[in-house]
Amino acid sequence: MVHISDGILAPWLLGSGWVITVAILAYALSKMKIDDVPKLSVITAAVFVASLIHIQFGPTSVHFILNGFAGVMLGVLAYPCIFIALTMQFFLFQHGGLTTIGINTVNIGVPALVSYLIFRTGTGLSIRTKVGNTKHRMVLFGAIGGGLAVMLSLAFVAVELITTGEQFLETAVLVVGTHIPIIAVEAIFTGVIVGFFATVAPDLIHKR
Amino acid sequence: MISEIDRYAGLSSPIHRWDPRLRIISIIALIFSIVLLYDLSLIVISTIFAIILVYISKIPFSFILKRLKLVFLFVLPFFIIIPFTFTYTGVVIAHFGEIAVSYRGDESVLFAAMIVLKALTAVMLIFPMIGTSRIDITIKALEGLHLPNQLVQMFAFTYRYIFVLSDEFTRTERSLASRGFKRRTDMYTIVTISKSIAMLFVKSYERADRVFYAMRSKGYSGKIATLHEFNTRRQDWINTVVVLVFAIFLHVAAALEIFSTFGRSGGF
Repeated sequence: MVHISDGILAPWLLGSGWVITVAILAYALSKMKIDDVPKLSVITAAVFVASLIHIQFGPTSVHFILNGFAGVMLGVLAYPCIFIALTMQFFLFQHGGLTTIGINTVNIGVPALVSYLIFRTGTGLSIRTKVGNTKHRMVLFGAIGGGLAVMLSLAFVAVELITTGEQFLETAVLVVGTHIPIIAVEAIFTGVIVGFFATVAPDLIHKR
Repeated sequence: MISEIDRYAGLSSPIHRWDPRLRIISIIALIFSIVLLYDLSLIVISTIFAIILVYISKIPFSFILKRLKLVFLFVLPFFIIIPFTFTYTGVVIAHFGEIAVSYRGDESVLFAAMIVLKALTAVMLIFPMIGTSRIDITIKALEGLHLPNQLVQMFAFTYRYIFVLSDEFTRTERSLASRGFKRRTDMYTIVTISKSIAMLFVKSYERADRVFYAMRSKGYSGKIATLHEFNTRRQDWINTVVVLVFAIFLHVAAALEIFSTFGRSGGF
């Protein structure tokens, strides 16, 4: 439900979604070399596959969104990855919609960029704490970024639904309510995975 | 886990023969035109138009219905959620303690029908749009439409890797299951799945490195090289004009309210 289907949102929201997405994409593509393509594609495919994995959470089944994780791994380049993943998800699985690819990329991609900024600032801080070494800081800020990205995405979706019309008030409540467990799951996931990479393959984490 | 959208690309029909570049552009325009409609009777007309396109393309309806079922489950809740509300606006029909459920009126049912029908029609149209040519031809067509090269390349590679990685993850899952792992609602499940996804990333990242060097050494420079050539014939333009005229007609008819027997339903 985080990817909104066709025909729900107000046209001006769809339009502004496309404008923002095209602008950020243009910027990200200018930063991207053709040599990056194979690696980015593998990560996009992995995000795509991982988002199909469902975890039973009490009565509901939740699936990963992984936007915070993509942001932490790729920085600005997470945006084209999410754009591709969402487009493919519509064409291969019919999740989401065509006209909503713009706004859906904003909903999922902008929080990814925010979580990247948090991760970069957080791990760059030179605060002396008891667990002050780099790996622990990475785990901590990875988890914060992962959880926050989902939270922001939910907030975006809810605000968009409610501004479209008061008919969608209940829908917004339902969407946010069913996704609250994912915030926790993604926070843990991003923390674990960043810690794993810090040990196993430190060069995978975005450093630019 | 993942089934191909281009399973019926090998058939022969007027839609299959239509130049993929023009086909993609015209059907995208049509989908946008339908999604921006707020008139139930015109939406019904465009659904019929979509069904005709699918019929011409000879893609079996059973294949499409299987995919539509998922979408339907996705949008079905709107029929229940939209007409009823917890705010005190419509006719109160039930009380649960402090909370009252009220019915918003018939208009909201029509509004929900509009949403569901628009979503289904949009999805139905992607089958004649990209289900009628092999995916590598479709990606070549995207290049022909002057999409940024990096994006086109990413589509091609990502499509390739989705299948590789989903197989890889299926193997990981099988090995987890053979050691007695079950998905539950606990920290252990989340951490274990997180770590297996992490391993999926590490493996695939290394694979991407190797693939990239192999491609470089064979002369890859970021261009798609297939033997397929596009040539646009008169019939291609006729198809394009028919679809685009229909897309424009929908909005002209909506503006003139020709078919608005139901009125402009919904809250807009």
